[in-house]
Amino acid sequence: MTLRVLTVDDSRTILAMLHHTLSNAGFEVLQAEDGRQGLDMLKNETVDVVITDINMPVMDGIEFIRNVRATGQHNSLPILILTTETSQDKRDQGKAAGGTGWIVKPFDPEKLISVIHRVVH
Amino acid sequence: MEALSLRDDLGDRAAAAGQNSLQLIAFSIGEQTYGVEITTVREIRAWNGATPLPNTREYVRGVINLRGTIVPIFDLRARFGDGQTSPTKNHVVVVMSVGDKWVGILVDAVSDILTVNRDDIHNVPEGNSIDTELLNGIVTHESRMVGLIDLQAVVSGAKADA
Amino acid sequence: MSDLDDFKATYFDECSELLTALEEEFAAIEAGERDSDRLNAVFRAIHSIKGGAGAFGFGALVGFAHAYETLLDYVRDGRVELTDEVVSLCIRANDIVADHVNAAQTGEALDADYGAEEKARFDALARGESGEDDEGGEPLEDFDIDFTPVMVNLGHAEGEAAVEDVFDVPPMAPAEGSWEIRFTPHRALYARANDPLLLFRELAALGTMRVKARMGQVPPLSDFEPFAVYCSWEISLSEPSLTEAQIREVFEFVDGDCDIAITQAGAVPAADLAAMEDDLLLDTGESDLASLLALTEDEMALPEPEAAIASLLDFAPEPKPVAASKQDRFEEAPALSFADLAATIAPASVAAPKPVAVAPKAMAPANSDGEESHRSNGVQSIRVDLDKVDRVVNMVGELVITQSMLTQQMDETLRARYTELVRGLEVLAQTTRGLQDSVMAIRAQPVKSVFSRMPRLVRELATKTSKRIKLETIGENTEIDKTVIEQLSDPLTHMIRNSADHGIESPDKRLAAGKSETGTIRLSAEQAGGNILIIVEDDGAGINRERVLKLARDKGIVAPDFTPSDEQIDQLIFAPGFSTAEAVSDISGRGVGMDVVLSNIKKIGGSVHVRSWTGKGCRMTLRLPLTLAVLDVMLVKVGESPYVVPLSSIVETMQCSRASFERVPSGGRVLQVRGEYVQVIDLGKRFGLAKPASSADQFVVLCESEGSQKVALVVDDIIGQQQVVIKSLEENFERVEGIAGGTILGDGNVALIVDVQGLRTTHLHQNAA
Repeated sequence: MTLRVLTVDDSRTILAMLHHTLSNAGFEVLQAEDGRQGLDMLKNETVDVVITDINMPVMDGIEFIRNVRATGQHNSLPILILTTETSQDKRDQGKAAGGTGWIVKPFDPEKLISVIHRVVH
Repeated sequence: MEALSLRDDLGDRAAAAGQNSLQLIAFSIGEQTYGVEITTVREIRAWNGATPLPNTREYVRGVINLRGTIVPIFDLRARFGDGQTSPTKNHVVVVMSVGDKWVGILVDAVSDILTVNRDDIHNVPEGNSIDTELLNGIVTHESRMVGLIDLQAVVSGAKADA
Repeated sequence: MSDLDDFKATYFDECSELLTALEEEFAAIEAGERDSDRLNAVFRAIHSIKGGAGAFGFGALVGFAHAYETLLDYVRDGRVELTDEVVSLCIRANDIVADHVNAAQTGEALDADYGAEEKARFDALARGESGEDDEGGEPLEDFDIDFTPVMVNLGHAEGEAAVEDVFDVPPMAPAEGSWEIRFTPHRALYARANDPLLLFRELAALGTMRVKARMGQVPPLSDFEPFAVYCSWEISLSEPSLTEAQIREVFEFVDGDCDIAITQAGAVPAADLAAMEDDLLLDTGESDLASLLALTEDEMALPEPEAAIASLLDFAPEPKPVAASKQDRFEEAPALSFADLAATIAPASVAAPKPVAVAPKAMAPANSDGEESHRSNGVQSIRVDLDKVDRVVNMVGELVITQSMLTQQMDETLRARYTELVRGLEVLAQTTRGLQDSVMAIRAQPVKSVFSRMPRLVRELATKTSKRIKLETIGENTEIDKTVIEQLSDPLTHMIRNSADHGIESPDKRLAAGKSETGTIRLSAEQAGGNILIIVEDDGAGINRERVLKLARDKGIVAPDFTPSDEQIDQLIFAPGFSTAEAVSDISGRGVGMDVVLSNIKKIGGSVHVRSWTGKGCRMTLRLPLTLAVLDVMLVKVGESPYVVPLSSIVETMQCSRASFERVPSGGRVLQVRGEYVQVIDLGKRFGLAKPASSADQFVVLCESEGSQKVALVVDDIIGQQQVVIKSLEENFERVEGIAGGTILGDGNVALIVDVQGLRTTHLHQNAA
């Protein structure tokens, strides 16, 4: 069965790289450019894991995660935070909002896949 | 408006010709026979008028619509300094590619496809300046003299002097 | 093209958009809008540029962007005040980022210390504001990025432990042998969609594992809270050279969401254990350590999930609910089924490297409406190759022609006979028009993308010329066809250079003239009918007509005995080979000057007009077609040949017999229109085409290309209005004087497009010569 990944990032470059890496690894990839789009997508789509950036316009990653969890529909949906922050700050905020884990940019493709497998069945 | 496709039987003929030979499309202007290498020819069509272009030399007959592209037509007779052709439906436009451009040459008739040996091509004799300017060489085919057209030379300098 | 190149292309595209956005944000910030939204947008843009740069290993860019980003972060949270000085530093920084991006794109190397000065200022600012704060005082230059360049192939899988990462836990002393792990998840662990099963699976990959579940706290079914946490586990894991760090890494994401104790087997410090139990018991109020320990002795080793629940419930001997009060703040509890939890225990011993892959998938999808939903993935925009759009545009163009040809073929007899056909053609016409508009809308883009490059240009020009110049932009959201926009950049650059170089005066001169020290260049775009007007205006000295005329005479552009009008002189700055730069500056005096503007703009079917007010300023107006593809025209006949005149330049048409021509001493004709004398150009004569014998009367097409000067074209017949698709003559031929291009009429013949402005210009030159 193909796993579906929702990627949320305002950077097209990152989206394109995620798409490439993930689809090469056999995932089906959905894309959203900010948290609001991501939320809208989750209303209609079933995904197995979400990868989201933190710094985004319209709705940032923290708020996005908080909103996803607040729907009550996605309590066991793993959400990975994409972050370039080397400080613990953003990661903690993301986690407090309900993030499952994190991936540090620039990401290594293998690391990315292994982190996904760490949080998805 | 009729267009004769040359592409189909091109392969066979090219195969029949040896590697040292050259295939020409031969066409006539009055008594003269000229030829161009067959690979440069894109299409042959009957004369159907052209829209004149102002401020150009007399041998630029104007432009035609070739499937949505505008292609200039050069009057080869006029180019050789023998006055403008008075074209009829029986006159022929040979559309050729010169570099990345397509141009049409107005001639009286297309006579044949000739296979000539490259070794038989001679230099244009000195004397006639227009011939030396516009021809790459001369070849004799079945006792006919065929002038090999230098297309680049034919189409250059088309703008009228200001 | 490799994938990496593709990504890079995407990245550079994105960078140019982000840099454009930065210009806009700072234009607003400079204008006083210093709200947090703007700062956040700026921060995000730099952050994104840095992020991508990191992926491609553009070290210099990352380094600079990071330092800049840090400053922006400080500004954002108020640690550094956004003074005018900081704003101008940021604007400078944007330019440096742009240069770095450009260098990365072209592969050329910038000086190693490029931007170092600015970086040092970021540092000083950051330090200055937070002197005592250790974090703030951290020298930014020390920032060192550890790149993990993007790898696009996913060939062999390296061991995870081999992949170093910044968040790796610090390496601990490697210990050989077996480990005991006590793991008690908190409710938060589930709330964040972490799952013990997955942790066990990962642990199982590390070595030989044995799991014991401690379920003593599972209440009877009546008291069972579905989302409460009742289980904890003891795991023993053994593998030679297995380190604690490796185990800790597995629990990385759940750190803080669970109690975890890792000890080397056979060396469990009792104190630790006791502390952990104490911790657990705090919530329950239960302090009977002995009884709890007794409970934990129950070893669970159940053969299959189905049996698990049953046996599990049987096994719950005492009602000891765990009131997870500490975790109550989590409003949402995990949708975790007990069966899954039980299942995790099932393979009590799993040998590496085979992970627990047999677990039922029941809990994974939060939405239960089927996982095979391959419906629309909700994408709201797509990126399409411009070539593909162009192909559609061309085909639509042909369709327009065919449609108008069909319509022309319908004469009155046919119309009367085939009403259905007529109706069909009308629908076709409508649909074609709609299709055309839609296709054009796809290619329309705001002029912003060109306008946004100008602030930097003006800044640089101001610095080079030691002038003070302010740029104002208006109407940057006006949309034009993408191909027009692409052709706009060079002309606009030249026009703005001209304004900065020749228009705006030095500060002293301005003060002496009673103007403000800072000159203004105003760049505006607006739609006017089927055209877009791009106007470059300045409040400088205006065109020095004496000098222009003298230069034009010197260069033989204007004959000595010809006295052009002021307007004609102004227009001379666009004449080929004309440049007013007396001292060749590196700004606009490069031989190619304003004539480039004219030729570029003409190429896209536009026109240029200049108007100058001595001492007050100058205005250059570009009139551009909304789209390149389709032009509304008047079809006329000159001799027997069809010509079209762009409708946008036509003021009116009239019959020659009704027009009042007058002779001028030079022998030419002028037309008097409402008291105004207008130059007359007989196209038949100009184009050397014989007047058809049948033409009883000629017509005058009064044109106004740009500005006030009109021109009257005499033609032999007026056929009517129609739309045409512009075709290039230059594609297969060359540029022809007085002709702007060609088009194909409904009958398949070629009509030439009259270059109204070009005719006037040559007319002027001929008069002058």
